[in-house]
Amino acid sequence: MNNVIELYNVRRYYIVGDFCVKALDGITLSLPRGSFTAIMGPSGSGKSTLMNIIGCLDTPTSGFLRIDGECTSNMSEDELAFLRNKKVGFVFQQFNLLGKQTAIENVMTPLLYAGVGAHERKEKAEMLLERVGLKDRMKHLPSELSGGQKQRVAIARALVNDPAILLADEPTGALDSKTGDQIMELFQELNEEGRTVIFVTHDRKLGMRCNSQVYIKDGRIAEGY
Amino acid sequence: MIFQNVKIALTSMVHNKLRTLLSLLGIIIGVAAVVAILNLGRSATDSITSSMNIGGIDLVTIYPQGNNRDGNVFDLQFGDTLMSNVSGIKTVLPIYTSNTRIRSGQDVKTVSVQGVTSTYFDVMNTELLYGDYFTALDNINHRQVVILGSDIAKELFPAGNAVGSYLSIFRNQSKRYLIVGVLEEKEATLGANFNSSIFIPINTFEQRFMNMSKVSSYICKVNDGANAIDVSKKVENYLNDLVGSDYFFVYSAASIVEMADQVTGTFTSFLAAIAAISLLVGGIGIMNIMLVSVAERTREIGIRKALGASPKVIRGQFLVEAITLTIIGGILGIGFGIFISYAIVNVVGWNLSFSYGAIILSLGFSMFVGIFFGWYPAAKASRLDPIEALSYE
Repeated sequence: MNNVIELYNVRRYYIVGDFCVKALDGITLSLPRGSFTAIMGPSGSGKSTLMNIIGCLDTPTSGFLRIDGECTSNMSEDELAFLRNKKVGFVFQQFNLLGKQTAIENVMTPLLYAGVGAHERKEKAEMLLERVGLKDRMKHLPSELSGGQKQRVAIARALVNDPAILLADEPTGALDSKTGDQIMELFQELNEEGRTVIFVTHDRKLGMRCNSQVYIKDGRIAEGY
Repeated sequence: MIFQNVKIALTSMVHNKLRTLLSLLGIIIGVAAVVAILNLGRSATDSITSSMNIGGIDLVTIYPQGNNRDGNVFDLQFGDTLMSNVSGIKTVLPIYTSNTRIRSGQDVKTVSVQGVTSTYFDVMNTELLYGDYFTALDNINHRQVVILGSDIAKELFPAGNAVGSYLSIFRNQSKRYLIVGVLEEKEATLGANFNSSIFIPINTFEQRFMNMSKVSSYICKVNDGANAIDVSKKVENYLNDLVGSDYFFVYSAASIVEMADQVTGTFTSFLAAIAAISLLVGGIGIMNIMLVSVAERTREIGIRKALGASPKVIRGQFLVEAITLTIIGGILGIGFGIFISYAIVNVVGWNLSFSYGAIILSLGFSMFVGIFFGWYPAAKASRLDPIEALSYE
């Protein structure tokens, strides 16, 4: 099983009033373990829908996908939640940290849902915060952190359950270019350590820094961008 | 997980102190009302019963009434008959009572003269100020000895110890009685006013007050641990069969206590029903604040779902939050209710009888309100679509 993600003819249609919006219209895609892939496309192309489907936040209208060998068709909401918890690490453009919880509490949250004991939660979270260079900011609330630091906390949180894929949606979009560069470098480092990284972006330059690129246009995989 | 949820709930309560307090007001007032009402109800019952001074809670008194055509069953031996027919009675004291003039020196007054057995004083728990009780021998020999109640002793012998002096009791003719004892002051129990009575041996009474047709009353002491109300019912049943209900009257302090209990009980449950309505209103307040909280934290719910929280976990989080809220409301309400109880009891002058049942009931009820009114908002949170929730501003 060398492919961490496999999509077969995935469609996602929305009914909006009298219209059927084909957000994804037959995507077939395999991403090998340890790859570093950019999913690129203009806004409205369907790349966010694709990300939601890969992240198991959304389910396809037809077609199916396998995450780390597990087919998600017919999974209940509880099973999908379990899969998100174990296999997927999300990094969002807007960081999406829990505002009333400290950095370390944020990082520990996925472990809480995985049923990991308090002592181990703390140990792992500390280790990962140290890895992203925030050892001295662990007890701070998100509001006391800079944008780059917030995104590092989010990355530590995404990694804490040792997921099969790291799914980043425009992770540098809310950062200045210098900080964005540093975050991009962190992703590159993580990929070199063996992580499978999916990097959703509309920024061509950033996309080209990934090892491979997938272009989405009108809900289909396109040849070029 | 529950601990984390309680912590999250407490954090968000601290962040919205005023809002939390306002939404808890209904619960606080409801619980305070329940606690105060139940405490005060108990205190009222206790103070009513203690104001009646039920030294005689274990006593059942029978008063023969009228003249029974079938001959007089209420004689001195009736106690033995009663004890062999009704279980649960330890002793029966026959008592003759008559209002009679007495004289000491130049003082003449009318008092209640009681003819009693020598065991009477022990059963009634009286204490002696001076002298001694008369003995069984005094009784058998029809001796003319008397024991004074404290008020009478004070009036007739203001100088002090009356023991050894003589007292004249008029009945057809005046007879001199030796004073052998003076009782200490004792509050009147129902049916016996110790302080303004004098006591002579029952046989002496029978001999001297010849035209007494029947014993005035019988005081029955129930066995240790026996229920005076049950015994009084059995006595009533027995006497109903024996002489018919017109010819006796049974009285027990316990039945008065029971009546007081019933009255305050009815009153208490009526007020408690009103308090329950305010708890219901409080519950609706909780539901409202939880719905607001779920709406405000839509994005947080989306994040938690993305991080792997299942619908069950989200529902649990908001349920625990609702329960935490209502339990804190309950604790505040209990504190407030106890405070009100103390304040009112102090003003009215009762003793506070603390009702622990009320506290457990209130806490249980708060928790129930939390679960009941928190369920819908929590279920709503658990059903949120993660994508929509994540894009919620």
